[in-house]
Amino acid sequence: MEAKKRKPKKAQGLLTKKVSRRDFLKTTAVGAAGLTLGSMAFTPFTYGAEPPIKIGMFNEYTVFATEYGYWMGKVGRTAIAKMNEEGGIAGREIELFDYDTKCKPAWGASMFKKMILEDKVDMIMGSIHSGVHKACFPLAEQYKTPFFSGGAMTYEFTGKDAIPYYIRNHSHARSQAVAGWKWGFDNLGKKWTFLVADYAWGHSLAREFGSRIRAAGGKTQEIRAPFATADFVPFLQKVDHDTEVLFTVFLGSASLAVLRQTVELGLHKRLKRFTVICTTEGIGQKVVGKESAGAYYIEYHPRHLDQVPKELHPYEIPYRKACGVDDDGNEVGNPKVAIAGSHMWSMWVYPYMIKQGIEQTGWKNSKKNADLIKAICSLKLKAGPWCPVGDLDMREQDHQGFADFYISRVEPDLKLKVLARIPKEKAIYEPEVDLRKKL
Amino acid sequence: MISNLAVAILNGIVWGLMMALIALGLNMICGLLYIINMAHGALYMLGAVVAWYLIELTGNFWIALIIAPLCVGVIGILMEKGLLRTIEDKPIMTIICTFGVMLAVQELVLIVFGGSPRRIDAPITYCFPLFQLQYPLMRVVIAAISGLVMAGLWFFLRKAKYGLWMRAVVQDREMAVAIGIPVTKVYMWTFALGSALAAFSGVLAATIVSVEFMMGREVLIMAFIIVIVGGMGNLEGSVLAAIMISLIQGVGSLFVPPSIAMVFALAFMILVLLIRPQGLFGE
Repeated sequence: MEAKKRKPKKAQGLLTKKVSRRDFLKTTAVGAAGLTLGSMAFTPFTYGAEPPIKIGMFNEYTVFATEYGYWMGKVGRTAIAKMNEEGGIAGREIELFDYDTKCKPAWGASMFKKMILEDKVDMIMGSIHSGVHKACFPLAEQYKTPFFSGGAMTYEFTGKDAIPYYIRNHSHARSQAVAGWKWGFDNLGKKWTFLVADYAWGHSLAREFGSRIRAAGGKTQEIRAPFATADFVPFLQKVDHDTEVLFTVFLGSASLAVLRQTVELGLHKRLKRFTVICTTEGIGQKVVGKESAGAYYIEYHPRHLDQVPKELHPYEIPYRKACGVDDDGNEVGNPKVAIAGSHMWSMWVYPYMIKQGIEQTGWKNSKKNADLIKAICSLKLKAGPWCPVGDLDMREQDHQGFADFYISRVEPDLKLKVLARIPKEKAIYEPEVDLRKKL
Repeated sequence: MISNLAVAILNGIVWGLMMALIALGLNMICGLLYIINMAHGALYMLGAVVAWYLIELTGNFWIALIIAPLCVGVIGILMEKGLLRTIEDKPIMTIICTFGVMLAVQELVLIVFGGSPRRIDAPITYCFPLFQLQYPLMRVVIAAISGLVMAGLWFFLRKAKYGLWMRAVVQDREMAVAIGIPVTKVYMWTFALGSALAAFSGVLAATIVSVEFMMGREVLIMAFIIVIVGGMGNLEGSVLAAIMISLIQGVGSLFVPPSIAMVFALAFMILVLLIRPQGLFGE
């Protein structure tokens, strides 16, 4: 009795009120309509839709090359989130699985396998580490899983060592050399010394540039130094006295040290310094310091917005905004973190390439992976919101992509000023393999 | 050729003195406490990272050179008191424990400091001409500072009361306890001093190399080689071994590729171990 007395009047009325069949139908219809509209407003993927497309991603988030991993991961996640906001691919949501390679081939391969067997991903993208890629090749072939390279620069991966499940939309040692050697030879000098890290990346750049310089009548010298060299004096003092161009290939702290110590020894006064942007990506010239002023770089996309060709600005500006990048090529709100701008765009473009491939082939699952890869590797992308780097052509024979290159010089204010834009056509070389019949 | 030889010798001595300073802290900890400190490279790196923050804050390298080692010394005290005290006589356990500390410190620095290398500007930028090249004066200053610190340490161990206690503990721990030497405190301060020395050399080295979370790894290997060649617990031996190894590498690189010259240094270590397993100056 006590409890009944305490019940509010309104509630008592509702509980005791008789509900007619008309009232019930009316209320249920309004409720159902509300729920339907609500679900449409907040998520494009409704109950009963096809299962999500699962994309695996792995990058170098810890141990080494983390300045790359940070940006590759950030851009990849941003691109997938944006694509989901725009309705996913063929009405299907994209589910992303994100792992760390720890910059170790064995660990990277175990993550690759985990993504295939446990997470059941449909395809995998990411990583700049050639060793990790090489370790994952047998798995990609065994499980017929498309593998999109984040930024591995070993040219053989789309050359003599190519596998049909590997796709690369970005440059590598050979295309960089094909695009950049002539400009360097004509504008910087004919006598080159290559001071390179003593492993595959350094060797291949020295070989690719060097062979072309020698074929054109130039002279070359090659000095190899351990990957993590701290003191370059013993190496720099071996540079030939008549050297006109010093081409250095190191990563991370060693790349800073070599630029710095070249100036300390006064070599910058008698020779030009030339390198690929990979050496200071994610570090930024301000961190490298004033010693980098005057150095020449091959870029694969300009770091500073005002150096990006004007016709690409309508795509470049929203791309930078989405990824949290300011006009100077630093992270928004954290200006000390420079972007890996010449590399990270690959992770922005891949989801769009996958979307194009799926829409062209009607791909539903791994049974049509061969068709999907063929379609992706035949794409001729036009500059647009999903391809802010300009037109990008994929080559069906070796699954290699080609985009424009830029030659830049570090100005006294430590800004990378573009001196020349090298069209993608000038980076094209004869394919070493034909993968079309291997799929 | 003479110019190259002069640069190689000068650079070998400069690097040798700097490496000796790094190895000295490691040798003190190994020789006196029987702790195989795998975290020594991480403490060296931590010194450089703390200095980077201090320089960002104050803009003064010399302040950072004093404060950063003190901060790392305090971390050393915490390490010794919190982790190592119970396992100090078990070298294998100390390897595992300090290896864990090394990984933890590296990952922590990666999270806070980030993965990108940073630089510390040398406070002295003058480079003096040296035959056809030039050579940065800062490197010579670093070598001089390293030499002074090592000389100071030598006097401290020979003349100061605490130094005497440290040597007494090494010679006979039980007897040291019996005559009233506070062995626990000696252990703690020895570890703190070794850690501070690692950090001090990290700050000095950061004016030449880049500051990053992995910078201690390469240095650690070389520091262990120096300690082994010089003789465990023998501080003078460490200094001589460091200079000898650096000179072998530097001069050797004039005649063979510099990467091969590193092999000479390792071959020298093997030779020393074959002839004198206790190290060049070990007893």
